[in-house]
Amino acid sequence: MSNLKRRNILKAGALGAAAAGFGFPSILRAQPKEIVMLGLWDQTGAFADVGPLNDRGMRMALEERGMKVLGKPIKYITRDGATQAGTSTRRAEEAIDGEGARFMIGPWSSGVALAVSEVAKRKKVLHLFSGGTEDISGARCHRYSFQWAASPYTAAKTVVDNFMKANPKAKRWHLLVADYAFGWSVEKYIKEVGKAHGLEFVGADRHPLGEREFSNYVQKAAANRPDVVAMINFGGDAVAGAREIFNFGLTPKLPLIMCWSSGVEELIQLAPEIRDNLWVGTNFYYTANTPVAKAFVKSYQAKFKTPPGYAPSAAYSMTRMLLAAFDKAKSDDVQAVIKALEGLEVNDLLGRMKVDGATHQTLRPYFFLRCKPKAQMKHELDLADIVATGDTPLPKQYAACKDIGGF
Amino acid sequence: MNLLLGQILNGIATGMLYALMGLGLSLITGVLNIPNFAHGALFAVGAYLLVSVVGVLGNFWLGLIVAPIGVALLGLVIEWAGVRRLYAAGHDYQLLFTFGLALILNELIIVIWGPVGISHLPPALLRGGVDLGFTFYPKYRLFVMGMAGALVVLTWLFLEKTKYGAIMRAGIENKEMVSLLGIDIQMLFTVAFALGAYLAGIAGALTAPIRGLSPGMGVDMLGIAFVVVALGGLGNLLGAIAAGLLIGVAQAVVAAYWTEASTAVIFAVMAAVLLVRPQGLFGIR
Repeated sequence: MSNLKRRNILKAGALGAAAAGFGFPSILRAQPKEIVMLGLWDQTGAFADVGPLNDRGMRMALEERGMKVLGKPIKYITRDGATQAGTSTRRAEEAIDGEGARFMIGPWSSGVALAVSEVAKRKKVLHLFSGGTEDISGARCHRYSFQWAASPYTAAKTVVDNFMKANPKAKRWHLLVADYAFGWSVEKYIKEVGKAHGLEFVGADRHPLGEREFSNYVQKAAANRPDVVAMINFGGDAVAGAREIFNFGLTPKLPLIMCWSSGVEELIQLAPEIRDNLWVGTNFYYTANTPVAKAFVKSYQAKFKTPPGYAPSAAYSMTRMLLAAFDKAKSDDVQAVIKALEGLEVNDLLGRMKVDGATHQTLRPYFFLRCKPKAQMKHELDLADIVATGDTPLPKQYAACKDIGGF
Repeated sequence: MNLLLGQILNGIATGMLYALMGLGLSLITGVLNIPNFAHGALFAVGAYLLVSVVGVLGNFWLGLIVAPIGVALLGLVIEWAGVRRLYAAGHDYQLLFTFGLALILNELIIVIWGPVGISHLPPALLRGGVDLGFTFYPKYRLFVMGMAGALVVLTWLFLEKTKYGAIMRAGIENKEMVSLLGIDIQMLFTVAFALGAYLAGIAGALTAPIRGLSPGMGVDMLGIAFVVVALGGLGNLLGAIAAGLLIGVAQAVVAAYWTEASTAVIFAVMAAVLLVRPQGLFGIR
């Protein structure tokens, strides 16, 4: 009896091994041996230029560890979500079902990431994201998604407080806002924080994502006779806006603030004349004075010539946080890693960083820069000084994530 | 009121550039009967060539002369090496060819000039602005308005008042008849494509200091150029000029009161006009 049983088991085992070797769904193959991580990085669509940068950052963080964690090999796969919610969710599901991905990072667009976050919740996979919507760690928070970027409140507070410290008389603000989730979040808190400084918002115009003709907005801004123009937009929009504000002669007479910039990636697209009297809020700047940032910037520059901006840095740091959570959990079980991430404290890329277990928001510093006039630049990439950093978390009265829920 | 005047001025400046793009595309579409999806890419090449020529020669005005000629030569080569072989092949192949060409040019721009956007300042003479009484306006934009306006008028005069222009218009109307009259129709096609490319190139070069440069800059402009052609009436040159101005001004005026709709209005105007006049503003077919 026992003999037969043993033989049956051996047979089943052999069959299973053969099946796994010959095109059985790779999920069965992947599970025991390797940990599959998905980078959902856009190669097409509005953020086609950003996806490859995200990929660099994530890859570098994994390669630092020799593509291994807890002694197991990491299989890193990427998918192009085309900067669209439909494509991104479909590709994410395919990677989860087909490749056995249990840990995913991305994508770059706030709106798209909110849709992907729903997939993470439904499929029970860990999801890390960095971007300007407050909903991932706010109204639509749940146990599986985490936010790396500063809260829009932290960003607004850092920008407004530090700008007003340097320009106490600049009370009349005109806002230029990208018309989607991220723009609205930051605008709300800029206005909120502005109350304490007695700011008057003489105008707030919203423009579509991908706008290239800014003359119309700039002329409206000029007509309002503001003391300062603050833009809450990103990438190509921010660059086109800053250029036109300069062409119309507003800067450098008036200061211009880019509230949520990608940092060096946007700044190098602007001529030094345009950067005169330009103030910048950003989630990462490459002169950040931490050991991890210094080492990362050095190896990134050696590899890719340019210093890293927000996009590769966010992907790099998110991946490091994920790996740190594996180490803490001593397990590659999704729920165990989530529990380890909740409350995780590290001294990493930005200095002290902590994941708030109650909202899944990373509490971390936000950077405020002042660009240098051409005459003061010591070299081509000496674009700006870090004036201040701020890490005031979202006050309780604004918190929309009341209950993060269970698994 | 001052704001509205300023916005109309903006609209005319932008509209002139749209008209240049539309005029070139309309010429190619009209004479060659080919949907040129590479028109946006030619626009981008014009802008990048300007920056390179200015970088080498150090003179904006030389750049403004040389860059569009470079694009016209590129157009010549494209017609000679590719488009010419597809006249008999039908629209599918022409569409695939010009679309593929646009992708190739776009990638070549990335290979040569890099994926990161570039800023290019106007020449020193045209930096800063002038006070027009009702608004403060950049000198360079006024220059673009004048320059694009002059180009539009010159192109129109060439087509209306010269013998070769008359042949070209005849080519739009009836190709068989033109070639039966003993005119080298192949030469006519080549010249029309090169002229269309020249107009796209100079629109790109003029735009560079305003919008800066990025590899995808042609894609935005291509959509608008097609709207201008459809709105003006296929192959109708006066229509392209009027449609370019109409769209530029509509975009600017709407942006004064409802900024969120500034992109949508381009297509709303087109839809509205085509509902009333399916043949376009000045079209007859």
